[in-house]
Amino acid sequence: MNGNLNGNLSDDLSGDLSGNRRRAGQVVRVLLVCAGLAALGYGLAGLVTHPRPVNLPNSTRWLAGGVLVHDLVLVPATVLVGLVLARFVPAPYRAVAQGALIVSASVALMCLPLWLGYGGTPGNPTTNPLPYRRNLALVLGAVWAAAAAIMILRAVRRRRRHRRHRRHRLPGDPARGRRISGGEGKLDDEPAAAVDVVDGHAAAVCLDDAAHDRQPET
Amino acid sequence: MNLLDRPFPPPPERLRRGPLRGDAFTSRLHDPRVAALLGMWLGVAFLIAFLTGLVSHFMQHPPGQFAWWSRPVWFYRLTQGVHVAAGLACVPLLLAKLWTVYPRLWEWPPVRNAAHALERISIIPLIAGALFQLATGIANIAQWYQFRFFFTVTHYWVAWITIGALVVHVAAKLAVVRANVGRRRASRAHLTDRVSEPEPPGEGLSRRGFGIAVGTAAGVITVSTAGQFVPGAGGTVLLSPRGPTLGPQGLPVNRTAAAAGVVRIARDAGYRLEVVGPRPFTLTLAELHDLGRATSRLPITCVEGWSADAIWGGVQLRDLLDRAGIPADASVRAESLEARGGYRTSEVAPPHARDHLTLLATRLNGELLDIEHGYPARLIAPNRPGVLQTKWVHRVVML
Repeated sequence: MNGNLNGNLSDDLSGDLSGNRRRAGQVVRVLLVCAGLAALGYGLAGLVTHPRPVNLPNSTRWLAGGVLVHDLVLVPATVLVGLVLARFVPAPYRAVAQGALIVSASVALMCLPLWLGYGGTPGNPTTNPLPYRRNLALVLGAVWAAAAAIMILRAVRRRRRHRRHRRHRLPGDPARGRRISGGEGKLDDEPAAAVDVVDGHAAAVCLDDAAHDRQPET
Repeated sequence: MNLLDRPFPPPPERLRRGPLRGDAFTSRLHDPRVAALLGMWLGVAFLIAFLTGLVSHFMQHPPGQFAWWSRPVWFYRLTQGVHVAAGLACVPLLLAKLWTVYPRLWEWPPVRNAAHALERISIIPLIAGALFQLATGIANIAQWYQFRFFFTVTHYWVAWITIGALVVHVAAKLAVVRANVGRRRASRAHLTDRVSEPEPPGEGLSRRGFGIAVGTAAGVITVSTAGQFVPGAGGTVLLSPRGPTLGPQGLPVNRTAAAAGVVRIARDAGYRLEVVGPRPFTLTLAELHDLGRATSRLPITCVEGWSADAIWGGVQLRDLLDRAGIPADASVRAESLEARGGYRTSEVAPPHARDHLTLLATRLNGELLDIEHGYPARLIAPNRPGVLQTKWVHRVVML
């Protein structure tokens, strides 16, 4: 009885506590929304009350244009590139190519006016003075060299694993199946997964292996 | 039932075509946990850019009687360098974040109830503002002016809109973040219906790989540009709009003498420096050179994010002010030979005016000051935006 009472009491207390925390969380959220709306309103008022420097029709066009270009051009274009990659680049190299493309596109976008030769001030040779196309090629060359190195590493690992599976296949005992674990290999960062190695199914094993390569490495 | 939660009539199902279909987006990267993690990084980067932007704004437009301190010397170099670096690093972060949540744009039904409609509307200023800030910032540092508004004013006000919308967004998504981030996130999964599903197998980039790629992109961007403000690293820049060591006398120029229309007047032998105070006086160029025996090692720190170190020689501003009988607590105005322009004059408050490093410089890196850098004399003070380091100075007036 005593124990029950204590139990109920502590239940009530913890219930109260979590209720308090939930209420505190609500308060924080309401305060955040109010502060955010105040800042947002301040910014809007600032735009509207400085019509000459802000040039509202033009700045609104740029504000809306950014969203439209992103949602209706940039993302569909990215989807398209993804489809092309899926069609022409096999796993496990595709992920590396995707990663390298993400890096390349980001770098190219952040300095877009520079390598396009836009901007700068005529009569001021210290604006945009560097050989940007060459430099972009250097940076992206390094990115893709790293990507190629990762791809080669993946290919080598895969071939090693093939060889290992072949060695486990005993000659003169073709019917014997064997179960090995990929996790027992020397490369301990490879996914631990059981693979059925059956003689005459080397190709199937390779395919399975490819599937394991595709798994996120943990 | 609450008015906000009352469900709207569902739209006819036959309108659900193309990207509105439930199976339109198959990438495993469209995931609430990835979105939450990227959102946290992006939020931090935007907050840094916002705060450093405020520093720059209030240095140029100090509110009321407030006067910025002149130390530490490197302060503005750091804040403005970080401002631009954070903005550039946001390019991959923002695009990746938008990719993770893109299917939500085509959500079905488009609006479920009034609360849902409000939440969706609140996203518009956030995305529009974020893309606008990055795009105009990138264009501005490259001095690529395709827009027809004044950059600094518009960038400033849109910053308030963006940060406000971001705070509202954080409040709206707090539960989603808590349910998807942190070691004990599983115990908070009940907070929302947007909980990360286990990653399905696939042949493309994994979620982890996506994070690595985005982080690498931000890193490569920083490494190829950050030398523009890091002391001693000016030679390493590959993709920044300025080379901090490139220009006349090894220093970039923002406003040229030709653009300012001072080429002839600055070289006029009749040049006089006029100091206006209780005991006004004028100096010829020769007298100014005779007085100027002080040197200061100070960077030019530009609002565009680059900084360049130099050794300046000239006369300490406070010596000129003392000679004119200008009291220590008075501000002065440095006036350029320029006939017009937004930065023709600048105000120097006591912390800078009385700093022993602040010079009216006539020499740069051991040579006579180049006309592009403000010959015959320019202001150079510590911890001060470059646009306020007035060039071609011919008058210093007590305010």
